[in-house]
Amino acid sequence: MHFLLYNILDTVRQLGWAGAFELLRNGIVLGSLYALVALGYTMIYGILKLLNFAHGDIYMVGAFLGYGVFTRLGAPLSPVVSIVPLLILTFLAAMLGAGALGVVVERFAYKPLRNAPRIAPLISALGVAFFLENSVLLLTDGTHYNYNTFELGGNPNTGLPGSLFHPAFSVAGRPVTVVQVLVVSAALALMLALTLVVSRTQLGKAMRATAFDREAASMMGIDTDRVITSTFFIASVLAGAAGVMFGLYIGETYYFMGFLAGLKAFTAAVVGGIGSIPGAMVGGLLIGVVESFAIGYVGGQWSDIVIFGILILFMLLRPNGLFGSRAIQKV
Amino acid sequence: MKKVLVAAVLAAALSVLVATAWGSAKAPAKASSAATATVKCGKTQTIGIAAPLTGDAASLGLQQLRWAQFFAARWNRAHKKMKVRLVQGDTQLPNTAQALAVAHQFASNSKMLALIGPAGSQEVQDTVGVYKGAGLDVVTGSATRVALTRGKAGTPRETPVGWFYRTVPNDDQQGARVATWINTKLKKKRVYIIDDEEAYSQGLADQVQSLLNAKPGFHVSRDHVSQSVSDFSSLITRIPSNTQVVYIPWQLAPKAQLFFTQLRAAGKQAIVFGSDGTFAPGTFNAVGSYVSAFPVDFNSGTLKAYAKKHGGKSEAFGLPSYTAGLVNATAIAKACKDGKASRAEVRKYIKKTNLTAAQSLLGFPVRFLSKNTGAAQGAGDMAAPADFAIFRIASGGKYVRVG
Repeated sequence: MHFLLYNILDTVRQLGWAGAFELLRNGIVLGSLYALVALGYTMIYGILKLLNFAHGDIYMVGAFLGYGVFTRLGAPLSPVVSIVPLLILTFLAAMLGAGALGVVVERFAYKPLRNAPRIAPLISALGVAFFLENSVLLLTDGTHYNYNTFELGGNPNTGLPGSLFHPAFSVAGRPVTVVQVLVVSAALALMLALTLVVSRTQLGKAMRATAFDREAASMMGIDTDRVITSTFFIASVLAGAAGVMFGLYIGETYYFMGFLAGLKAFTAAVVGGIGSIPGAMVGGLLIGVVESFAIGYVGGQWSDIVIFGILILFMLLRPNGLFGSRAIQKV
Repeated sequence: MKKVLVAAVLAAALSVLVATAWGSAKAPAKASSAATATVKCGKTQTIGIAAPLTGDAASLGLQQLRWAQFFAARWNRAHKKMKVRLVQGDTQLPNTAQALAVAHQFASNSKMLALIGPAGSQEVQDTVGVYKGAGLDVVTGSATRVALTRGKAGTPRETPVGWFYRTVPNDDQQGARVATWINTKLKKKRVYIIDDEEAYSQGLADQVQSLLNAKPGFHVSRDHVSQSVSDFSSLITRIPSNTQVVYIPWQLAPKAQLFFTQLRAAGKQAIVFGSDGTFAPGTFNAVGSYVSAFPVDFNSGTLKAYAKKHGGKSEAFGLPSYTAGLVNATAIAKACKDGKASRAEVRKYIKKTNLTAAQSLLGFPVRFLSKNTGAAQGAGDMAAPADFAIFRIASGGKYVRVG
């Protein structure tokens, strides 16, 4: 224990403030992705009280759809369109495709179980998760695909990075790259858009009403089935966007990528308070930053222990999370 | 009273089932009838392949499967009298319980005369007793832990002699080669070693770390990262910018490629050195990096044919499973000369394997040792000149053998 503590303090000293900034930067970028996926968990839980464990796999399918369009357009080495339309088309394909998949999953795996005991859709969600994972495994032969955005707009022979990896600005001598700015700003824009949809539109009002009391909302004339379908669509659109962002930033897409990402996003949703939209955003960022600092200061082998340790602590000490409200049981 | 009786009977039945399952998993099974039975050699002979075909390590297991299937297709085209049929077993590495289930399934398949796999060292250690009980040899294309063939001071070897063979050189051979290369050819002293928390990777990392630490003037740091991680940015923050070589003995080549690009994106210029797990032209294309692997000839017609069939990728990590298939099929063909064969007969011929370098595709001939030899090898390892080579990744991702 003393040795571990000594190592941590020594690493903190060695990395200094510049290293701390670098870890914070990495954590915010990663946390933005977790937040987008966590939003899906929290929205679906809020409206159906369902832990949709297939959500991580919708994120994975989104990453694959984006990869398909990205490479069909000749990227990264010889894109047939310039970088902005390339990214827009990639995002659109992934978001719409993932959204459609979310709707299909809801229609066939959850809707028939609407009035079943709560364990039934949960098991169905696990089934969908394995179905999606193994379908993609069969379709892709287990291959790990790489967006390779490092070479987008660069010269592969020189080994120098492409434009997405150029520094946008620097802090404490550490660069923040274009792709990092892109990921964080796109995530923030999507979170803002979601907040506006939920708080300012008729659909948002219907979503809140359905989440509060589905039966009462139905009696007030709200088409709750349509609201639930819309919620699945929006949640899956966000997951699809997160999948592409992960591809652009990290590069990798493969059939199993949704498993751990989904678990971490679920942790983020629980930490933030499952059912709470601001909670998912803050929880995602928090988990990302904690993971980054755990890897940076303690070591890579500790990050999952720290993250899932936090999950256990929250379940024990603050089960409603940071922003969740205590449910009042009427008797 | 009746209910209590029924419950007691059920509990007893359950305990018998659990005890049976526990016993079969823990203790090496006694020789089964399949072990000694002689089968009539029909036109098609069955070989099992135990590999992780689903789960996190499926990309590796599927490479092994595709190479084994490639072998079977070529064998079947070339041999009119004896065809080979592969039976797949999904071991879901590192889930050794699943590997045990596959072992029992294969053991009870009386048509199965030989086996390719299992893939992981831990899987081999846990299942070799079951295979021995069924009279089947383990011939693996990837389990490289030294202790499987050679015990160290005070610890016995982990497999019974005569029941385990591998068509890859072991970790000590690889580790020694890498450490020597870093020391004498690269002449770099500041080395950062990162294992991927799997037994294969940890063994190699330990070996290289201890060899380099034993030399004067070396500054060696050690770190770990899970195989499931893709974002290495925070790990890279930990690597001092004056590091000259980063050694990553990982199983997954795509992760090594991600690590390389993220290292360069962070502005760090250390040389990346991978192991045979990252030996994947077309996937790990990190220009200027090094990889230790068996000295395959990428210009061989067979490798080219495989790559042509698989989207230009040679998937060289899976190649030793081709060789393992050939070892098995050759032994079965010899055992079947008189029209019938037993697993014992097949084992006898596996022990006498003698493949040329051109046949094995590995870049060296394959013969198995029957006793400890040199500093690193034991019975079941391949005899010299089987060893690792060093490749440098040149422009365009081309692997050039440099040592």
